[in-house]
Amino acid sequence: MLNRRTLFGLPAAIGALFSGTLSAKKIGKPTLDFDVEPRGSIGRMERLPSLDLESQQDFLTGFRVWANSEMRRAAGIRFGELLRERGLTQKSDMSLAEVIDMVEDDPVIGTSVRTWLSGQQLTWQTVQDEFHNHEDTYRGELDAADRAGPGSVELNPELAIPEYAKHEIHIQPGGYVGDEFAGYINHYGVNAFYQGRNYQDEVQAAIVEKVLPPPDGKVKRILDLGCATGRLTFALKERFPDAEVWGIDVGAPMVRYAHLRGVDLGLDVHFAQRLAEDTQFPDNHFDMVVSYILFHEVPQEITQKIVAETHRILRPGGAFFPVDFKTGKQEPAMTPYRQFSLWWDHRWNNEVWRPEYSSKDFGDTIAAAGFNVDETIESARRGHGSIYAVKPI
Amino acid sequence: MANTDKPIHASDFIKSDADQAVLLGNPVLDNMMTALISLGSEVWSTRRRMKVLESLLAEQGVTPEMIETYMPSDAQNSEWQKERDAFIRRTFGALGRSGNKSLGAEMEHS
Repeated sequence: MLNRRTLFGLPAAIGALFSGTLSAKKIGKPTLDFDVEPRGSIGRMERLPSLDLESQQDFLTGFRVWANSEMRRAAGIRFGELLRERGLTQKSDMSLAEVIDMVEDDPVIGTSVRTWLSGQQLTWQTVQDEFHNHEDTYRGELDAADRAGPGSVELNPELAIPEYAKHEIHIQPGGYVGDEFAGYINHYGVNAFYQGRNYQDEVQAAIVEKVLPPPDGKVKRILDLGCATGRLTFALKERFPDAEVWGIDVGAPMVRYAHLRGVDLGLDVHFAQRLAEDTQFPDNHFDMVVSYILFHEVPQEITQKIVAETHRILRPGGAFFPVDFKTGKQEPAMTPYRQFSLWWDHRWNNEVWRPEYSSKDFGDTIAAAGFNVDETIESARRGHGSIYAVKPI
Repeated sequence: MANTDKPIHASDFIKSDADQAVLLGNPVLDNMMTALISLGSEVWSTRRRMKVLESLLAEQGVTPEMIETYMPSDAQNSEWQKERDAFIRRTFGALGRSGNKSLGAEMEHS
């Protein structure tokens, strides 16, 4: 008989085949009297609370797929035409100002960005509205989960939230710190980002399958830095069930929701609202530190502090496995179109720190902190960099 | 009514200016694009609900003819009109937005 551990111990590709055929009842998890799931669940994902919202998100996911393919294709073709009109090619050396000047008034380029932007704004807004329209219900669910197990959540109301962490990254309303339902909003909103291919956390499961443990293979304690809603944290616990697994994030709303999901899934994971650059953990505490798409969301100065902190809290021989966009020696060749794409992701997707992140070689930053870095490993996710760092013994 | 006695564990945040973007040269065009996409989601939402309903109804013996000839009560008409008006506000509210940041506009914060 299938149970949650059996199902989710399968490789992600095989597990995903089952996700569409699961009944509304979640598999292998206890019933929680405070759990709010008016329409049941499909596997490990609770269905959105109304049919209309689910259908709107279904549309906006499909729309995003269309915008990211057809509109981007049209924009790419138009971009090429604009280059040719100026006697330029994708190998031409253009400044960012020249690129923007070239596309500024083009309606096809403008439409490609507009369709993406409006679709994403509507995705966030419809989800945010739902949880705010039933705020007492969801606040009650979070409050009850705070006191429940398995696992735990530590909140720090006195934590001074750094300014850099207050931005509405990927234009999520309120960002990760400013909306008490940020966890719910992020979980359901980014389902559209993954274009319908991550309802069962299969993306994070696939990443964790590729995470390399320390060379000696000893894994007793793992940290997920910048854990957000805990999807990677859960995958780490499921791959290393005997390890003590922690996830930390600056956003209280995120770790509260992560813990709620952990309780819901029956996973013994510890979440805490802490800063990645000041984790409060003892020296030499963890065997593995992992992160997923954290570093391009922080300033370079903070990246260096986080890497130094990671070095401190890893035991000698411990492994650091950050998964993020490629930089430096790993980065693909910069073309004028890629310049434009990275720029509008920064400007209109509000990825405030992406240019700073991309301006430095992340592998070199980690090596400078005292790690032995291997950048030849297989990437854990397509389009992301390959870095495996070990703290010397 | 919201319980405001307990902490809500959220802090102040720095708002992006993405809602000020004018990417099509005229805010009216940007706004109409947003309204069009929103309208698309409403239409699909309705169609998807209809599919669910028709499937369930067919199982219970409610025929398409019965649906076609149904006469709403006065109370239903009144309620459905309120929903219609909320839908119009929701779908076309974007048309009232103003913005002045062009595609290449500098960010104000860093």
